[in-house]
Amino acid sequence: MDVPVQEVLRPATVSEAVAVLAARPDARPVAGGTDLLVQLRDGRRSVGCLVDLDGLGLAGIRRTSDGIEIGAATPMDRIAADAGIRALFPALAAAAGTVGAWPIQCRATLGGNLANASPAADTAPALLVAGAVLAIAGPGGTRHLPVGEFFLGPGRCALASGELLVSVALPLATVAPARRVMERFVKVGPRREQVISVVSFAGRAVVRPDGTVEAVRLALGSVAPTPVRARRAEAAVSGRRPEEAVRREAAVALQRDIAPIDDVRAPAAYRRVAAAVLLDRFLREAGGD
Amino acid sequence: MSPRRRPRPARGTGSPEPGPLGGRHERPDARAKVTGSTRYVADLALPGMLHAAAAVSPLASARIAGIDTAAARAVAGVEAVVTAADVPGKNLVGVIFEDQPLLAADRVRMVGERLALVAARTPEAAWAAARLIRADLEPLPAVHDPVEALTAHAPLVHPWGNLIREFRVVRRDAARARAAVVIEAEYRVGGQEHAYLEPQGCLAIPEGRRRITIVASCQCPFYVQQAVARALGLPLAAVRVEQAPTGGGFGGKEDYPSEPAACAAVLAFATGRPVRFVLPRELDMQVSSKRHAMVIRHRWGADRSGRLRFAEVDTVLDAGAYIGISTVVAERANVSSIGPYHVPAVRVTTRVAYTNNLFGGAFRGFGAAEATMDRLARALDLDPLEFRRRNVLDDRRRRICTGQLLPRPVLARECLDRAAELAGWDAFHAAGPRNGGATREGMGIGLALYGCNLHHGGQHLDRSSAVVILQPDGSVVVRVGLTEMGQGNLTACQTIAAQALGVDPATVQVWQPDTTAVGDSGPTVASRGAHASGMAILDAVARLRRRLDPVAAELLACDPRHVVLADGFAAVSGDSGRRVPMGRVAAELASRRIEAISTGWYRSRARRFDAATGVGDPYEFYAVACHVAKVAVDSELGLVRVLDVAAAHDVGRVIHRDALEGQIQGGIVQGIGWGTTEELKLDRGRLMNPSFTDYIIPTAADAPRIAIAIVESEGRGGPFGAKGIGEPSLIPAAVAVRNAVVDALGVEIDRLPLTPPAVVAALGGAHRFAWLEEERVRGGVEEVVAGR
Amino acid sequence: MTERITVTLTLNGERRMFDVAPGRRLIDLIREDAGLTGTKEGCGAGECGACTVLLDGAPVTSCLVLAASAAGHDVVTVEGLQHDGALHPFQEALVTHGGVQCGFCTPGLAVAGAAAVAHGPADAETRARLLAGNLCRCTGYVKVLEALADVAQGEEAHVSP
Repeated sequence: MDVPVQEVLRPATVSEAVAVLAARPDARPVAGGTDLLVQLRDGRRSVGCLVDLDGLGLAGIRRTSDGIEIGAATPMDRIAADAGIRALFPALAAAAGTVGAWPIQCRATLGGNLANASPAADTAPALLVAGAVLAIAGPGGTRHLPVGEFFLGPGRCALASGELLVSVALPLATVAPARRVMERFVKVGPRREQVISVVSFAGRAVVRPDGTVEAVRLALGSVAPTPVRARRAEAAVSGRRPEEAVRREAAVALQRDIAPIDDVRAPAAYRRVAAAVLLDRFLREAGGD
Repeated sequence: MSPRRRPRPARGTGSPEPGPLGGRHERPDARAKVTGSTRYVADLALPGMLHAAAAVSPLASARIAGIDTAAARAVAGVEAVVTAADVPGKNLVGVIFEDQPLLAADRVRMVGERLALVAARTPEAAWAAARLIRADLEPLPAVHDPVEALTAHAPLVHPWGNLIREFRVVRRDAARARAAVVIEAEYRVGGQEHAYLEPQGCLAIPEGRRRITIVASCQCPFYVQQAVARALGLPLAAVRVEQAPTGGGFGGKEDYPSEPAACAAVLAFATGRPVRFVLPRELDMQVSSKRHAMVIRHRWGADRSGRLRFAEVDTVLDAGAYIGISTVVAERANVSSIGPYHVPAVRVTTRVAYTNNLFGGAFRGFGAAEATMDRLARALDLDPLEFRRRNVLDDRRRRICTGQLLPRPVLARECLDRAAELAGWDAFHAAGPRNGGATREGMGIGLALYGCNLHHGGQHLDRSSAVVILQPDGSVVVRVGLTEMGQGNLTACQTIAAQALGVDPATVQVWQPDTTAVGDSGPTVASRGAHASGMAILDAVARLRRRLDPVAAELLACDPRHVVLADGFAAVSGDSGRRVPMGRVAAELASRRIEAISTGWYRSRARRFDAATGVGDPYEFYAVACHVAKVAVDSELGLVRVLDVAAAHDVGRVIHRDALEGQIQGGIVQGIGWGTTEELKLDRGRLMNPSFTDYIIPTAADAPRIAIAIVESEGRGGPFGAKGIGEPSLIPAAVAVRNAVVDALGVEIDRLPLTPPAVVAALGGAHRFAWLEEERVRGGVEEVVAGR
Repeated sequence: MTERITVTLTLNGERRMFDVAPGRRLIDLIREDAGLTGTKEGCGAGECGACTVLLDGAPVTSCLVLAASAAGHDVVTVEGLQHDGALHPFQEALVTHGGVQCGFCTPGLAVAGAAAVAHGPADAETRARLLAGNLCRCTGYVKVLEALADVAQGEEAHVSP
């Protein structure tokens, strides 16, 4: 059955797209459409005009002087397979490979995953630990926003009317010599493939030769109204060896970083336990277990 | 191998070996399906066809004060809007008992109850109009738990009470029996959605208001015929139902399709146009029938030597708001409660309760309470395999709980041993579990005794009709009344007909069932498809041969009694050099204008059974199945991975090996889904996860390694001795997985499915992070106290 | 009245032009407008894979692709997997291995499997993951994966010297 939209436009440039989005409150961008079309069909969102981002050159992965830049319309399968991303930002590559099954990965885009602003967005925890910065085009030009400021609530993001996400920059961190860098992403769902996460976890740790954690970033999905950084847990670990007592403290601290709810997918109690398990496993591995 | 009597080698019933029977020839429908050229209901369209939609109740229990259809009628493209008053015949559906309206008039009893129907020129218009139907509903009390529904003060779903029926099996006095070890347990087994890939659908083509053709995705064209005739007020002969190629059934298309068919038929008569009704997936999941949720209470006892002494089983089935075929399901559950074991004293009570929940119906396979067998084994400190060996029925002790003597050979022990051997049971337990990190491995057994074909209570339906037409060129048309829904009935019919006629299966064409082409053959359920079709086909072939053999004999210059059919020829028995091609014989029949069409008929033998006491012969014959599952459980995250399943099946005779294996593999994976991930999440009767997004069925990444042992034996009653595989392939899998998980974790879990939250909850204090919840609560209190 | 749009695309190797509503989904363009009913709708939400087609060689769920988004692109459906009357090797393998039962998931699975073969060498676990987006309720996937392994090994034998 037809999706209830009145118009589909295909602008030739980003500024044209922005102009349409700014001029029409009933307009919304579409790239892969893997979330949006379901919402339109279910009547959860109402859109008069879809602005197709195909052909705007927003898909692509390139090395920059600072790191890697990913076009917002780049599909997940390309991100998951990209050698540079796999080497430098393995959590993101792993996350991209879990966004639905293969046919969804060939369509779903990074920008769509972000703009849909689900608390379960798979790439979000990985982008949070990578310190990603988003490039947003609007009527007044382009602005840059750290990904941590992008999510405002379930289904709500910091894109203002007329704005369009155009790329995501992943900065290469400088790491002191003799440091071990570890980055992981884990998604927990009711079966092995093709699930909306019940809990997702991304962690990035820089470990000194003496085993202490020099820097750590932890982020989780599906345990709060938005994807979150677990700052209290980070504080509990930072500068210390992740031995059992420290891990225990971190697990307790984590519970104050998250606020899971009971929903159709899982009860809050399970999410709390699973989040603690994922953190514990990450820290054990960081500690050389 | 145990030194027991081995099953005798199978022999065909009066047909020569070899032939296609038991082989792997190409399924006749495979090529068309793999190229996408098979047309299912949604692929059929006629000029002027309208699309149907339905408006349904959002509440589980309410009085209907009024239904306003004005806004719906005003939608452009809408040709008809129909409510209860517009049904030309009887506004009732229900295969066994007419307790359910086609369209609700004064009362709704379940979420998804139909309020009105729309026919429009496009599906968009039809569903948009359906959304504009305004029903004025006044909520009434509802009951959502079947045990609660049977208590004195529960709200009544129907005026005549919430207990639909009670079935019993009583043998000696189990209620007062004693034993050294007694186990009591309560199991809550969730319902299940069939999740056939093709949604429910049908196409109704009227001829004036006199006759109608229905093309339906269904398992039972004759049920559909009856439902449509009733709704339209037509005689049966004026309703033609053709079963469309059907994309999966599993019991979910047994009785339910009668409802959309009657709806489409009413709309077709109202508009005079063909009407196609295909349910969107979410609506299909909410309103169509489900496996019954059950609460099963056990009290079983065994003595120290490991022999069962008594078994008490008390089961309550949640039928939902309408009976459907719940009593049939309950009858089966009732006599299957004890499993393939010798138990001297038995008391089984099976009650069916109305609730305002989802509508319960057939689902391939019924749960077996193998969990208690494992519990008893543990209490006795016995190996669960050994414990079962000591108690299974065999050729010596072959009386089941109803007193029926199982026909020999009884292959429970054989299946148990073969499955355990395939699974490496002894080696696994000798080596000890390979537990690494948080992973725990375990192995579990599920053993089931399945009564094939219809229960005694359904005997009146247990007949089957076939037509065989020998074409002048020697090719053969076969028609039967039982349906193909993926399980391989078409292949079985083709194989059996080809075996009987001695021809290449490729020359046999089996066409879709049509209620105007064959007699009422009952439902395609209970694993009876190949059996009932096959027997009717063999009868038709036997009757055809009365006219064919004399003609062949003339061509061969021999006695008609010496004609044998094999390899595409009619030949002289014992002198294979004298033969003529079947094509020649067929041409001869045609040129002499001899009748080359014959009908065949089969009906099961009458048997005795007392429904009040459960004494007698509920089924004609039985099949045994044993599954042994090996799992790896992440004991911290609660994730269950089924690694291997070894399956041993007592099938009588293999008809088609690929089809048989495919059924077993599919049944096992469906059983794993039921056991681990498939959960119907209800909120006051509303299904909260009516989509594949949140109703989780296994994917290719979840399939375990499956090893299969087929045990053949000489059978009576089946075509060439075949018994049926559709249901036994699923029954033992889920409980084998449950038993394996319990083995892995060392805690009992009495609810299905074993989702990660359920597993973590079952571990309780044994979970590595159990301390966290206490800590969290304490920390939260401290914060409050500190004023933070 | 919503204005219709013109969508031009290559469908099974042939350049085609369709006049459709803006909200038309690719699955409906394929089934209704082009009359190719091999592609099936099992859920309409991209979860079951029955509607899988190839879009510029990549498998996608056509129920989630707007016809407008496919304009200018290359679409191959199950009907387009055959060449000169011969089935794609994976289709042939599904038949010979007994991996077809009710057949409703089969066209989508055939397309995804063809894409998996083209994807290159992979181990058994990867192959299962590539097909995880195609739900099947009948087969339990065993014979389907055997068919894919068979074809994949044949391809590898082809490629390696």
